[in-house]
Amino acid sequence: MDGATATGVPGGEVLIALVDAALGRDEATLVQARAAVRASLGLAALIDATAVIGGFDGITRIADATGIPLEPPKAEQTADFFAALGIGQFRAEKV
Amino acid sequence: MIREDLTNAQTQAWQRLAAPGTWWTGAEHVAIAAEARYARDCAFCAQRAAALSPLAVAGTHDRLDSPLPDAAVEAIHRIRTDPGRLGETWFLRLRAACLSEEAYVELVSIVAVVTAIDTFRHAAGLEPTPLPAPIDGAPTHYRPRNARPGLCWVDTLAPEDVTPDDPDLYRELPGPRERYGANIQRALSLVPHSMMHWWDLLEALYQSSREMRDFDREYRAVTHPQIELIAARVAALNRCEY
Repeated sequence: MDGATATGVPGGEVLIALVDAALGRDEATLVQARAAVRASLGLAALIDATAVIGGFDGITRIADATGIPLEPPKAEQTADFFAALGIGQFRAEKV
Repeated sequence: MIREDLTNAQTQAWQRLAAPGTWWTGAEHVAIAAEARYARDCAFCAQRAAALSPLAVAGTHDRLDSPLPDAAVEAIHRIRTDPGRLGETWFLRLRAACLSEEAYVELVSIVAVVTAIDTFRHAAGLEPTPLPAPIDGAPTHYRPRNARPGLCWVDTLAPEDVTPDDPDLYRELPGPRERYGANIQRALSLVPHSMMHWWDLLEALYQSSREMRDFDREYRAVTHPQIELIAARVAALNRCEY
């Protein structure tokens, strides 16, 4: 989750950098990140990638603002990396 | 540069924002949207987000001059600026301050819509879209007869409990069902039109359920693995467990 681990996804590094920049506050970093995605994956990919960023910036708020639980089958399937990534810490911070 | 369906989805979202909803008027919708944008520069929100616990910081929000009640402003600001640490105790305090669960759900959907579109446009290097002029009219106050507690903080309407009086929020017609009723899809179902408005937008930004599961074909200029990588990274940065 720290972005340092190789993803195995083509273009993964520039896409993660784009997400981090898009949700950050540094405009210069975002400009660079956009350029990197456009150069390596193309303009259409840049648009669609930023659309996904926007969509998930919204949907995470719906999930957290309504308290919906993860479905049991999904929880079982993801238990190993849930623990490995320390996702349970998020739950502990809710007040 | 932008897919036509994505442009259309944004236009439609803004039209729906301007119009009267189920529990809020069009003017209140626009006020909620404006407050969601304003929250990003709220000093109190910044202090709370930086604190080890949001309860450790006392203060009042920098807010716009609008008729929105304080409980709504608190909801908008927390959802916009510190969503990963929202807890049910916080939600129950809003309820105690007379923010109904129905109005809350619609408010959540508006904050989500504005956040999604603003984040997309900012990330893509596009100018933010000015908020629309509100349209007069009264909210419908429609509550699904079969919405019930038990899943999450608010009542929800499961696909199997939908009646002919309810809008086709899970897209059962003509069938097969296109929104199959995962918990994340049920989250806003207490206010069916809010649920439908959000998912119409998200499916243009992301993919429909059917497209998401069709690994034999790519529907976007980014691949399925790339899409899910992006989604996972956003969720991690927003500290979203789901």
